[in-house]
Amino acid sequence: MSHTITIKCNGCGACVKMCPADAISGEKDKLHLISADLCINCGVCGKICPEAAINDELGAVCLRMKKSAWPKPRFDLKKCVACINCIETCPVGSIGFTGRTLPKDPHNYPCLENEKTCIGCSFCALECPVDAIAMFSAPIKAAS
Amino acid sequence: MKKACMGKILNVDLTRGEIKEEIIPDEVYQKHLSGMGLGAYILYNRVPAGADPLGPDNILGFCSGMLTGTGSFFSGRWTLVGKSPLTGGWGDANCGGTFSPAIKRCGYDAIFFTGISAKPVYLCIKNDKAQLLDASKIWGKDAVETEDLLRNTHGKKSAVAVIGPSGEKLSLISGVCNDKGRIAARSGLGAVMGSKKLKAVVLDGVQRIAVHDLGAIKKLSQKCAKWVTFPVPLPPGGIFAFVGSFMRITSVLFPQDGMLYRTILKKWGTVGMNQLSSEMGDAPLKNWGGSNVDFPIKKSKKINPDLFTDAEIVKYHCYACPLGCGGICTLKGEYSHTHKPEYESVLALSGLCMNEDLDSVFYLNELLNRAGMDTISAGGTAAFAIECYEKGILTIKDTDGLDLKWGNTEAIVALIKKMIAREGIGDLLADGTKVAAKKIGKGSEHYAIHAGGQEPAMHDGRNDPGFNLHYCAEPAPGRHTIGAYLYYEMFQLWKTVKGLPSPSPLYTKNSKYLANEEQAEWAVACSKFMSFANAAGMCLFGLFIGSKRVPTFAWLNAATGWNKTPEEYMEIGERIQTIKQAFNFKHGIDPKTFKINERALGRPPQTEGANKGRSVDIETMMSAYWKRFGWDEQTGKPTNETIKRLGIS
Repeated sequence: MSHTITIKCNGCGACVKMCPADAISGEKDKLHLISADLCINCGVCGKICPEAAINDELGAVCLRMKKSAWPKPRFDLKKCVACINCIETCPVGSIGFTGRTLPKDPHNYPCLENEKTCIGCSFCALECPVDAIAMFSAPIKAAS
Repeated sequence: MKKACMGKILNVDLTRGEIKEEIIPDEVYQKHLSGMGLGAYILYNRVPAGADPLGPDNILGFCSGMLTGTGSFFSGRWTLVGKSPLTGGWGDANCGGTFSPAIKRCGYDAIFFTGISAKPVYLCIKNDKAQLLDASKIWGKDAVETEDLLRNTHGKKSAVAVIGPSGEKLSLISGVCNDKGRIAARSGLGAVMGSKKLKAVVLDGVQRIAVHDLGAIKKLSQKCAKWVTFPVPLPPGGIFAFVGSFMRITSVLFPQDGMLYRTILKKWGTVGMNQLSSEMGDAPLKNWGGSNVDFPIKKSKKINPDLFTDAEIVKYHCYACPLGCGGICTLKGEYSHTHKPEYESVLALSGLCMNEDLDSVFYLNELLNRAGMDTISAGGTAAFAIECYEKGILTIKDTDGLDLKWGNTEAIVALIKKMIAREGIGDLLADGTKVAAKKIGKGSEHYAIHAGGQEPAMHDGRNDPGFNLHYCAEPAPGRHTIGAYLYYEMFQLWKTVKGLPSPSPLYTKNSKYLANEEQAEWAVACSKFMSFANAAGMCLFGLFIGSKRVPTFAWLNAATGWNKTPEEYMEIGERIQTIKQAFNFKHGIDPKTFKINERALGRPPQTEGANKGRSVDIETMMSAYWKRFGWDEQTGKPTNETIKRLGIS
């Protein structure tokens, strides 16, 4: 099942702009539609919808969230094997490389390069083969 | 919903400009998996017999692996398939980087191109919208420039596969590049893409790849990661030269465990083998005519593995790879960065041509990557030209004034530049050694080292006869990435597949050179396993760690929800290999013509060096290999019973 739009939709088009899969279509101020074939269930439409007009893949109503409260990935580089699965998986291209950070460790690890574009879909955490990514909603405090 | 695979392919007819989706029935995946298996199934059925490899009837396929994107490791390889213009028969090449998952993210397991476009085009897929766009502005640009331009136009996230000027100029030793220097180089399939006037494929999709049991896959992956990442202390890279010398001198050997090789790969990449191979007799030198005596440690220290890690800025990992054998290096000259040259490139451009200048190797590596030309074939062809020049077959007039002496770095660089541009002598050599020798004549064919047109890689079959067998008996000849006695030892297939013999814990080196039943069995197992692995999208270097530690079979079951045994998966490999052989027969190829040049077989045997006095009884070996596959032992043709048993249609 994919996400669906209910009749509460006011056709504002906020979700269309956010959808990374180009799955949502509809005329301005008219009821929009999500293509089930294209929808990847990232859930960003539900988080952005001002009318709570979107149901998730299980049929539950998605609640609007402030952008600052969207969960963000945190990388545990001790577990990470630099396989770059997360970078490839990210539907919005928010994850990038750290570059070589330590002289003795030449590997190129992932990091949240562009926090603003992250939609908090958790696909990176879900697909990380070694479970090195966890999603956090609270602002990340720098380790002292 | 399909598991692991996407269940669809995209067919692009370049003549008509039509793009059509096609649903692939589940049965096809059950019998061939995806990747090379799907490619073999489509090409065998759809390329008409006798089609011109550079004509509109040939099909060029970009296939992603069955395991790609499932959360398994080492599964990021895509396979390029087509009828090879270099050998006239089955052609395939595979490559890492990030292109394989990108195919699946667009919703397809593979993209197949037929026809020829009237003007240069490229295919762009953005989510569900696939379109052919005008490529006249990027035609003629090198692979890196093209990729940068296309990524600027279509988004930084998109994956791009391109041909360079070599492919455009239909050089038969050209390939297809992605990620700025990973290249699917063999079989000359870049020329097929060039003949279709297809400059690039740009993919930007976000589709999800469904799996049956993600938890089980992750559990397997985490266990596998431990084997890959645990640290092992290593000596400086120069030590391996002496290890190589020891292996040359000793008369007794033991089966090698791939854990050592993975440790070398993790630290240095494939270049870790540079000196070891040239010392032990694995690396062919001086156009396969020389030996470690011509290229002693004094010379091979110029390609010491540590020199490569010194130039490395950061490691490069392909998609889904916890090992990271690649690297991004700085280099001198007009380019600022290059992918770390691979062992094959280094030896082909140094030892094979007796070139001792490492800076030129880095430069040529980048130059060839940008041109989209196969470094192995380019080095092999340059070495052939040098030998012809030294033997007086080519004169200074023929070479446009280049003094093509062994080790003349300047002349070698100039020659390869000419090959890329197809100027003067470069035009003669740009199609590889077989075509060049035919044009030159005058006995030059004795120095053209190729198997059925394909230049063999930098592993000497006089040292490990398994290499020679696979160079000659494979449907795509001249390959080092399928099997060898060494590979059989490292795959450790006897630990997972029932009925395969384990090698004895200690053996004399001379016992390696016998052409007997057991060794045919090893070779057949390697061929089946690698055909299967290419269909799954697996990387050879991962598989070297051992079939139990890198659980390909178990990953596949967890990803697809099937319950197949390793033996059933090996049968899939057998089916794919037999289809490829049947493809060659359909196109009128006699597999006996794939026999490698006599020199590489040790006929006559060398008089000095590591492989002194060795020659390989290839006819007996090929015959035994064919027989074990259920192919006719005289002709190599798959028998009707075999075709029927494997359900090939």
